[in-house]
Amino acid sequence: MVSGFLVMGGLGVAIGVVLALASKIFYVYVDPKIEAVEDALPGANCGGCGLPGCSSNAVAIVAGKASASSCVAGGPDVAAEIAEIMGVAIALKEPEIAAPGCTYGYQDADVKYLYQGIHDCRAAALLDGGSKICTIGCLGLGTCVNACPFGALSMGPDNLPVVDTELCTGCGTCERVCPKHIITLTSTSDRIIGEYVTDECTAPCQRSCPTGINIPGFIQEIRNNNYEAALAIIKEKCPLPLICGHICPAPCELACRRNLKDEAVAINPLKRFVADYEMETGKHITPYKAPGSGQKIAVVGGGAEGLTLSYYLARLGYNPTIFEAKPQLGGILRYVIAEDRLPRKVLDHEIEGILETGVEAKNNMVMGQHFDLNSLFQEGFDAIALTKGGFDSRQILQPAPSGYDTSVPGVITMLDFLRSMSDDKNTDLGRRVLIIHDRLEGLDLARKCRSIGAQKVTIVSKLRGHELPVELQDVKNLEAEGIFVKPLTMITALKGIARRLVRVALENTHPIGEVPNERESIGADTLLIPAGRLPEFLFIRSEDQSESETEEVTWETLEAFHTFPGDNGICTPPEPGRISDSSAVVKSLLSGRRLTRAIHQHFTSGLITPIENLVCEAESILNVTEVHNVALSDREHPDAMDVEGNSKKAWIFPNEFPGLNEASAKKESERCLKCGLICYRKQK
Amino acid sequence: MSDYILLIVACIFVNNILLMQYLGNCPFLGVSKKMETAVGMAMAVVFVLVMAGAITWIVDIYLLKAFGLEYLRTLSFILVIASLVQFVEMFLRKSIPGLYAGLGIFLPLITTNCAVMGVCLINIMEEYSFTQALVASFSYAVGFGLALVLFAGVRERIILARVPKPLQDTSIGLVTAGMLSLAFFAFKGMV
Repeated sequence: MVSGFLVMGGLGVAIGVVLALASKIFYVYVDPKIEAVEDALPGANCGGCGLPGCSSNAVAIVAGKASASSCVAGGPDVAAEIAEIMGVAIALKEPEIAAPGCTYGYQDADVKYLYQGIHDCRAAALLDGGSKICTIGCLGLGTCVNACPFGALSMGPDNLPVVDTELCTGCGTCERVCPKHIITLTSTSDRIIGEYVTDECTAPCQRSCPTGINIPGFIQEIRNNNYEAALAIIKEKCPLPLICGHICPAPCELACRRNLKDEAVAINPLKRFVADYEMETGKHITPYKAPGSGQKIAVVGGGAEGLTLSYYLARLGYNPTIFEAKPQLGGILRYVIAEDRLPRKVLDHEIEGILETGVEAKNNMVMGQHFDLNSLFQEGFDAIALTKGGFDSRQILQPAPSGYDTSVPGVITMLDFLRSMSDDKNTDLGRRVLIIHDRLEGLDLARKCRSIGAQKVTIVSKLRGHELPVELQDVKNLEAEGIFVKPLTMITALKGIARRLVRVALENTHPIGEVPNERESIGADTLLIPAGRLPEFLFIRSEDQSESETEEVTWETLEAFHTFPGDNGICTPPEPGRISDSSAVVKSLLSGRRLTRAIHQHFTSGLITPIENLVCEAESILNVTEVHNVALSDREHPDAMDVEGNSKKAWIFPNEFPGLNEASAKKESERCLKCGLICYRKQK
Repeated sequence: MSDYILLIVACIFVNNILLMQYLGNCPFLGVSKKMETAVGMAMAVVFVLVMAGAITWIVDIYLLKAFGLEYLRTLSFILVIASLVQFVEMFLRKSIPGLYAGLGIFLPLITTNCAVMGVCLINIMEEYSFTQALVASFSYAVGFGLALVLFAGVRERIILARVPKPLQDTSIGLVTAGMLSLAFFAFKGMV
């Protein structure tokens, strides 16, 4: 009895002592904050933060590797609580929610075979990518629904997932489990700067729209009588729906699949119809605007492109200011296009709407006279975008003494240079001159430069050495002359101080895979470009700004379009979708939107990333060449009243072209086939 | 040598701790939903069982038997196993953080698991020598792991099957466990 007490007591004491010692010897410090942060996190272990679970995210947050707002599921409340524990301020994050990207469930789509296996998309996708013919279609077995940790997903009646936007936290679990990558997280900002890629479901009209309006989406909203929502969809890609409704050449209608049956859907008139609806309400519908980031951006030029850029910058939370040389905003839209094609009240209405989103405008401000790069940077602008537009008004507006457009320091168009030479103007190009040219005239130009005092002239060409004119292949003799030729090279960036060009960054343009792209930077005082006008430029302050106290700001250009196919570096002649031309306002909208993307990516991730599989002419895409089970129906046309007041269809109007009335618009919206890659609305 | 082989086979298959002796059913149902956790648990059990088997044998022979206190066996074993796991956890966390992270939450989970306790008691009841006790503990643990991993594999597939609503989740789990146990009855009488 006594021995029992003693043995058990002794055992207990001995073990107690050993454990006490062990806890001292094997002590590991754990930051108490980790526990506090972990308690604050929702504990759903959804993985939305990109880490395996809440506890690993807590460790990452305390270690400073993740931000306080990294928990997407917790939302702003949790972020605030964590920020308090950590004693940091939180950056507001735009909410992202899941969006299914397929519009036809398997009962409506064409299928290769009948699937009766395991009830899980991941299993179904193993059999030749799923039963649908469309390679990117939703398999409809609800894997995402089962995976959602927040119960925000359900399977709709048409076997497509339906997102409850109230419950969705944007954790991205569905995105990770979907084997077809159909359900993705998206936010308004993502859609504004987004471009269509070949592995997402797009309609032919949508792909052919230069700026990429979600056409089936907005027509669907018209069908649902939801005109404001329709307008919000249009405004994600096109800030000037009413102007486009009047003057857009509508390439979308050429691509409309209904052309295979009868006549294209009146897409542009439908767009105009919702825009007219907005104008009639008398107020501007401003869709979602991201929380302010505070960066100031100067937009030089208040035409369609500049307006687009500033509108989207404002919606992404920046503070844009437009500098316009003319007394009023609008550019070509106001000063060139005939009034009966585009009534000025329409233009004023649209510009008003853009200014209402938080865009500041300064009219009668001419670059080179009232301000320049240096003065803008000194005023505190973080970036400057040059959107000088599709027409060349600089000589009228800005009779610079040199005869050059001086808005980009050191960059002179070839025509300006040659004209000033023939005018016997006193031209100083500096010591080092760069010429972008592929042809023999480049050599003449180089010799002219040498004759007026340039010591070293370099000709940069995107062609291969043997493709150049023979005269330019005679490298040795040319070098003796002080002329250097760089084939397979493009200019990717300019760098300067205040009003001077200092360096030019070059990159070789070997076809992908041949040789890794090499970059170099060479000193230059002047760059001669073959284009007739200065292309779009995006300037930022250089990071190596050592002498920040001085008056002179060091700047550099961003490669705004570098990530798009067919890029030949900055300063190359206009290409559609790259720099705007005057052929269609909608093309200017695209370049405005792409500039927004570049600015946004620069200020958020610091890196302008390429888009893989971008929809473009070179990419082939799944499509159909004939339609079946579609009933014939006539296209709706605007009504006109004849003298007796009877309604009749008319095509020629003396004054303003009328829009569709509501009944016609509704009827027309029913004609839309709501196409996907190969699906479309068939008669049951 | 053949004794040991027989012992190993007996412990792993014939007297499988989970499916024949029905000990440790809590982790069997609890952590068998995913293969990953099942494997983690199996590892932790192997680790703890071998150590517990050894230390309880020593305690029993040199402490309890020496003082004629066999009636305190259960009590003292609980005490010893619990503290052992605590100690090992602290040791691993400091010295082998990799293993600690791998075994993770499974170590404290099996502190006073009946499978661990049961094996220790069986070792004593069967009057195994120290080496036999070690081998038996290890084999029982392997048997535990085998059953758990098998069961997890089955359960991962059950998730994809269309199970009638009233039988979903734990119910179908128990039914499956029963069938698995029946299959192990085939080993009966082998050794």
